[in-house]
Amino acid sequence: MAEYLLTRPVRESLDSVAVRSGLHPDLVRRLATLGLLDCRTDPDGRLWFAPSTVHELARVQRLRSGLGLNYAAIGLVLDLLDRIDVLEAQVRSRRQWT
Amino acid sequence: MATDYYDALGVSRTASTDEIQREYRKLARRYHPDVNKDPGAEERFKEISEAYQVLSDPEQRRKYDRFGPDFRRVPDDYEERVGAGGPGGGRVRYARGGPSGVSGFGEGFEGIDIEDLFGGLFRGRGGGRVQGADQEAELSLPVEEAYRGGRRHLTLGGREFDVDIPPGVTDGQRIRLAGQGGRGSSGAPPGDLYLVVRVRTHPRYRLDGRDITVDLPVAPWEAALGATVPVTTPGGEVKVRVPPGTSSGRRLRLRGEGMPNPNGRPGDLYAEVRVMVPKRLGRRERELFEELAAVSDFDPRRV
Repeated sequence: MAEYLLTRPVRESLDSVAVRSGLHPDLVRRLATLGLLDCRTDPDGRLWFAPSTVHELARVQRLRSGLGLNYAAIGLVLDLLDRIDVLEAQVRSRRQWT
Repeated sequence: MATDYYDALGVSRTASTDEIQREYRKLARRYHPDVNKDPGAEERFKEISEAYQVLSDPEQRRKYDRFGPDFRRVPDDYEERVGAGGPGGGRVRYARGGPSGVSGFGEGFEGIDIEDLFGGLFRGRGGGRVQGADQEAELSLPVEEAYRGGRRHLTLGGREFDVDIPPGVTDGQRIRLAGQGGRGSSGAPPGDLYLVVRVRTHPRYRLDGRDITVDLPVAPWEAALGATVPVTTPGGEVKVRVPPGTSSGRRLRLRGEGMPNPNGRPGDLYAEVRVMVPKRLGRRERELFEELAAVSDFDPRRV
């Protein structure tokens, strides 16, 4: 049932992200420009993405198609959801006493 | 989907399109699977979306009102074939449904901007292959079950699971069920389901991480003279040695008798001594305590 990754990629190219997510590379590039994806530009100007990017792209697509959010709003929602995750994890670790 | 569309959105059958949109927007925000991690949220979200799709389109809504859940099987030109149910009524409604149906209610709130050009790319090359969202649910366990672990049957969001709980799970720990989260669309992989363990409060066991504290009631003579007494732990009964001269509040540690730990050292069990006296004394007991009071120069209020 569980999935085990034998090798964990450190970073992923634009093309790889596009293929794995099924999105056009131009769209991936645009979402990166909008600050929705965790990525870096190397000295040659190529984009490199964090391994979780495909996961993130799915979230962006779901929020867009499900709530009709524009990409600026999605950026805000993602930031807020991440902050909530951190807060919830803190609450969990503090509630040690039962 | 069995649910009535009006019920799904919580609106009356006479609700205006504005009202329908308002309720849909509120519910969609609340149940979106990326906002609401409850395993039932995704199903609810789909229900809401489907209801809105139909009820926001005057033509479809009219058909749904008339034919109920089977409205999609009714041919588009039904009214014309039947030959105008009411005098002129069908015609008038057609005039409304036709052209406005094209521009649609769905577009009004999104506006047209550059994103719509990219919007096509989502559908085009991706074919709507979107991975499912992760879900999260609480799993409330009594201390004994958290200690022992074992298989547990769960019903979450309309699905049933058999989950193997490892022995020694702690409060707040997450159990990952890979691929059991939200469904992906068009064959994309599903998300994961996380069970967040909540260890229920127990009248006797107090947990601090993997350490367990339990009260240990002892008689005054056991406390004074020392004794070996049984104490019940989540793992069964163990013996604890109370050293002579033990007062209330002393914590006796039983190493490794706390929560098991699959990845290392188990927690410890602390038996916290509470000296208890009989509520009523027998005649002989009273005599002995009185004698003790006369003989002893022990003063617990002086150090």
